[in-house]
Order: sequence, then C-alpha cells, then structure tokens
Amino acid sequence: MKRNFSLSEKQLGYVFVLPSLLLILVIVIWPITMSFWNSLFDYKLNDPAKSIRMLKSNVDVERYANDYYYLRKSLEELQSKSPGKSSANWINTLKKDHEKLMKQPGFKDQFNKVDEMVQNFKPVKDENLKYAQADDSVIKGYRSDMLAMSKELNKVEGSKEIKKLGDDSADLAKSVSKEMLAENFVGLSNYGVYLKDGRMWKSLLNTFVFTFFSVLFELVLGLLVALLINRAFFGRSIVRAAVLIPWAIPTAVSAMMWKFLYDGQSGIIAHFFEKIHLVPNAGNLLTTGSGAMSAVILADIWKTMPYIALLLLAGLQTIPKDLYEAASVDGATKWEQFRRITLPLLKSSILVALLFRTLDAFRVFDLIYVLTGGGPANSTEVISIYAYKTLFAQQNFGEGSVLSIIVFVSVALISLIYVKFIGSDLFEGKVKI
Amino acid sequence: MESKNKTVFYLLLALFIFIVMFPFLWVFLTSIKQQGDIFSSFRWFSSHPTFESYRSALTTRPLVKYMTNSFVIAAFTTLISVVFASFSAYSLTRLPIRGKGIILGIILASSMFPHIAIISPIYNFVTEFNLRNSYTGLIIPYITFSLPLAIWLLSTFFQQIPRDLEESAKMDGASPFLTFRKIIFPLAAPGVFTTAILVFIAAWNEYLFALTINSKETARTVPVGISLYQSEYTIPWGDITAATVIVTIPIVIIVLLFQRKIISGLTSGSVKG
Repeated sequence: MKRNFSLSEKQLGYVFVLPSLLLILVIVIWPITMSFWNSLFDYKLNDPAKSIRMLKSNVDVERYANDYYYLRKSLEELQSKSPGKSSANWINTLKKDHEKLMKQPGFKDQFNKVDEMVQNFKPVKDENLKYAQADDSVIKGYRSDMLAMSKELNKVEGSKEIKKLGDDSADLAKSVSKEMLAENFVGLSNYGVYLKDGRMWKSLLNTFVFTFFSVLFELVLGLLVALLINRAFFGRSIVRAAVLIPWAIPTAVSAMMWKFLYDGQSGIIAHFFEKIHLVPNAGNLLTTGSGAMSAVILADIWKTMPYIALLLLAGLQTIPKDLYEAASVDGATKWEQFRRITLPLLKSSILVALLFRTLDAFRVFDLIYVLTGGGPANSTEVISIYAYKTLFAQQNFGEGSVLSIIVFVSVALISLIYVKFIGSDLFEGKVKI
Repeated sequence: MESKNKTVFYLLLALFIFIVMFPFLWVFLTSIKQQGDIFSSFRWFSSHPTFESYRSALTTRPLVKYMTNSFVIAAFTTLISVVFASFSAYSLTRLPIRGKGIILGIILASSMFPHIAIISPIYNFVTEFNLRNSYTGLIIPYITFSLPLAIWLLSTFFQQIPRDLEESAKMDGASPFLTFRKIIFPLAAPGVFTTAILVFIAAWNEYLFALTINSKETARTVPVGISLYQSEYTIPWGDITAATVIVTIPIVIIVLLFQRKIISGLTSGSVKG
C-alpha cells in the first residue's frame, strides 16, 4: 500500500463497517418494510386476480390477448350456428368493452405487442409489458359485463354442440373477467380482520402461555442447576458436554425425538406418564390440548434449561468468593447469602438470559411445528405457526403478512420493555461511552 | 457430614445428567432394535440388536445428501458472515467512528428479528431470481441472522485484546489496515474461530427458511429432512431414530472437541468481564 493512499483510522472505520450495514439494510430492513407493505394488500399468490400488488387497476395483457381472441371466435361461431338477438348482443358487448380498453392511453400499442408475442407462443416475462394500467371504471365495467355474460351463456339452449359452445364461451368470459385486475390495496382492513379473529387471539394466548411457562421453568431450574455445579468437582467435562449437546442439536431433530418419546403407542415417556398417573392414558398426551401444550413446554425446557444453567453459571463465577466468607463469618445463613449476595450480583445475568429466552420462546416455530403441527385442534398453534400456515399453506401473503407484523411488533415491544430494565448493561464492555 | 454432602451432590448430578441424556440414550437403543420390538415392548435392550434401521434410513431418503447440503450451506454462511463481521467488529471496537451505539443497536435489533416477519418478501425475492432449491437461495437469508450474531460475538472478543500492541504498531508507523491485518487479526484468531463454530451451528440448525425455500427432496437440509421422514400413513420410528443418531454424531464431535470454546462464546455475549 502506498503511503499517501493509506486511509486514516476514521475512514478505515467507516469502510469496514459499511458493507455489513448495507447487507443488514438489504436483507433485514428491506424485507420487514416489504412485509408491512404486503399486509396492506389483498394479496394471494394462488389467485391469479390477486397475485400481484396493485395500487391501480390493471389488465393482465398476456392472458387477456389470448382469451379475448378465443372468446370472440367462440361467440362468432355461436352466432353462426344459432343466430339470434342475444348472441349478437354478446358480440357487441365484448367489442364495446374491448374498444373502451383500447382507448386507454398507451394500451393499444402494448396490446398489439403482447398479442404478437402470444401468437408466437413467447412468454411475456417483463412485468411492465405483461400488465397494463387502466381506469378503474373501465376495468370494473368490463368485469361485471363478462360475469353477467358468462351466466347467460351457461343457459344457452339448443343442440348438444350449441350447448357445449355456450359453456366454453361462458368459461372464457369468466377468464376474461379475472384478467381485469382491480386494485387490491386495502389499507389497514387486513388488520381489522385479525382484530376480530378468534383464532388469532387464541394463537397469541398460546404463545404467551408457552413463553411464560417455558421461560419460568427454564430460569428456576437453570438457576438451581447452576448453583449445584458452581464448585470444583470430578467430571466437569462430562457435565459440560451433557449441557451443550441438547443445545447444539437442531430443534427440529430434538422435536422429532420427543415426538417419538411422546408417541401414544411406542413412546416411553408417554408410557411412563401413564404409569405414574400423570395422564390417564398414554394416547392422551398429544391428543388433548393441555397434554400437548405441556408436552411442548417440557421438550423446550429439556432443550434450553441446560443452556440457561450455563449462562447463569458464568455469572455466578464472577462473584468473588470472599463475599460469602465474610457473610458466613457474620453468621448469615445460606439462604440469606443467596438472597443478599447471589441474587443481586446475578441480576444482570438473569435479566440478559430472560431477555434472550423470552424473545426466543415468543418466536418459537420449529419445535411446535414438528412436534404437534399446532394441533390438536389448534391448541398449540402459536402465532408464528398461524402466520406460516396463512402465508404458505393458504398462499395468502396479504393477511399472512399482518400476522408476521404482529409477531414483529410483539417482539419489538418485549425487547423495549426489557431493555428499559437492563439499560446500558447490554452494551457495556463493547463500546466506550 | 462432608462425605454425606458429597454423595448427595453426586447423586443429584447423576440424576441431572441422566435426565438430560435419556432421550439420546433411548433413541440410540431404539435405533438398534428389530422393527417388531419398537412397537411392542418398552424393554431397554433388544435381544437381537440389528443395524437394519440404519440401512433403511440411508436408503429410503437421501440422508447423506441432506448432510452435504447442510454442510455446504452452513460453511459458506459462516465464511461470509465472519469475514464481513471481523471488519465491522474491529471498526466498532477500535476505530474512532461516530454513531457506534446506534450501529450496535441496529445490529442487536436485527438479530432479534423474528424470521417469520421477513420470510415472505425473501421468498418472493428468491423465487424471482430462480434461487429456490439452491445453495445460494438459503445462504442469502441465512446472512440475516448469522451476520448480526457474528458481529456481536466478535465485538466482545476484539474488546478483550490489549491495546498496547496496537499503540506500539502505530508508533512504528504502521497504517491502520496493516495493524488490523498483522496485529489484531492473529490475536483475535481464537475468538474468530469460536464465532465461526457458533455461527456454523446456528446455520446448521435453521429450520423455517430451509422448510419454505428448499422444499425439493434433494435440496433439503438436515433439520427439514429429518422432520419430513415420516410418510402419510406410518411413522417409521426405526428409520427416524437411526437417522437422528447419524445426524447427531457430527454435532457431538464438535461439542466434545470445542466445548471450552463454545462455552466462552456463549457466555461472553451475556456476561460482563
């Protein structure tokens, strides 16, 4: 590096930090903004009329060019086979609506271009070419005309051939109606849907129940274990490995293990619970709501409690031993020592563990999705699972995004509350203030 | 009194280890049972141990392919995020830039982002660029959690490196970049390695993105592959337990080899000192 090209410390600092910040901006901040944007639309991937976000009304020109051509041909054939007032009417309506569309600024050129591609069987990949904007009134008029026509065509009487021609035209008219894409910006109304949705509130309640009980037990048991192993003893490395392995294996794999242990027929834990009369029948564990919820919480405690114990143990080891010696010289009991020395000095470790665990538990997905799938009867369906099902099973990206935004806002609120308690402890030792 | 205390302590300890290890033990014992024994009895040991379940687990589903996928994806994720994170963490802990608090705040906040909140736009993005069922299609979303995690951990490690060495390098006229390359990076190597292990494990274990983006059987990662072992009508517990044992072995090896490092990484982010 030539001397005069070398960067000053400050410049180097910005150059070093910029790539990561940009990456985070692109893959974290941008998607969350898009999620919010999606939640404002009636946006469904599996419904051709709603599979893109539209602020203005549009025509799916690619499909329309195709269907318009066939519909017109089919109607003309119908007229030649069974001439009459209604068949002439249908052709007129179609022509009139098509003319109106062609008068929209720029539509004609685009239509001709796409029509040529369609005739040559070329797919239209360019979104700007595939969709054309048009007036809301034209689109809506065209759509209702086509829906009405489709109903009439279904009722065409005559020979078998004419009936079939009527039905085919009816289908085509319906397709054309679907290609008239009305704007699907719905503002906050998706949010309104969920405020009144019992399943959403139930899933939120399930999430709170899961979070509260799993974190509570993990923290209490974790603290007990940490106190137990906070001393020199033989076999520390075995304990360390025992603690780390449940934490290190994938949650989905541990969920699968527990699914086996809880199985109504061959699950040893379910069998054991039946033996000690915790459940009336081994099969009940995963088939009743309360049984499944307890099972899920227990599996989470098994996986995470050792990790909490580890964090708290590290905190315990920073407490100077002479504090306890001085206290016992003064005649303090073990319990007093725990309350007056251990707890206050462990406070920041506990709070940090509490923060991370609460957020993790609130976002829980893998464990429950694999172990119960949210069942039975949605009794273990937490909000992330409900969001996932809406997004990917129903392909409803509009309403599903509302649920994901709800998860995001809840997580943000929880962190804000905790950070207020923990304060700047979290940053201490990282930044010089 | 003293020895009685000790006995109680070791009993409690043994109980704790037994409870924690029991699921693994039982899954392993099941994996070497005959098919019939799994469904009919709760005996600990099979009278005729067999490796039939292992053969079946490896042939009915492409388990080795799952492991290769997971390994490649996790390795690249680790490499990319550790490189970017080293630069950022050095800058955040050692160089005089403004707005450190805000930047660290953004990084910490983005590490807490629920994946479900960003998955639909990422799914759209990956689909648009034809990256579904590919390695790249998962590596990109994996940066979302691995990069903040790596920056967070590395900042702690860099902070612990004594400043005197840098000062003397500066006195000798080394440029800031040279100082970073020759002094800081070698000293931080253990911390970088620890960070790499933790990021690798996090990427190896990820489920939600892998489930939605790489749904094709040959593109699945280990967690998704294992969770979809069951068919519609029966749950082949023999195969599943055998597969679980196979995919757990690498993790056990990593944990046994690097347990001290992992613990130092896990606790450094949350405990001062």
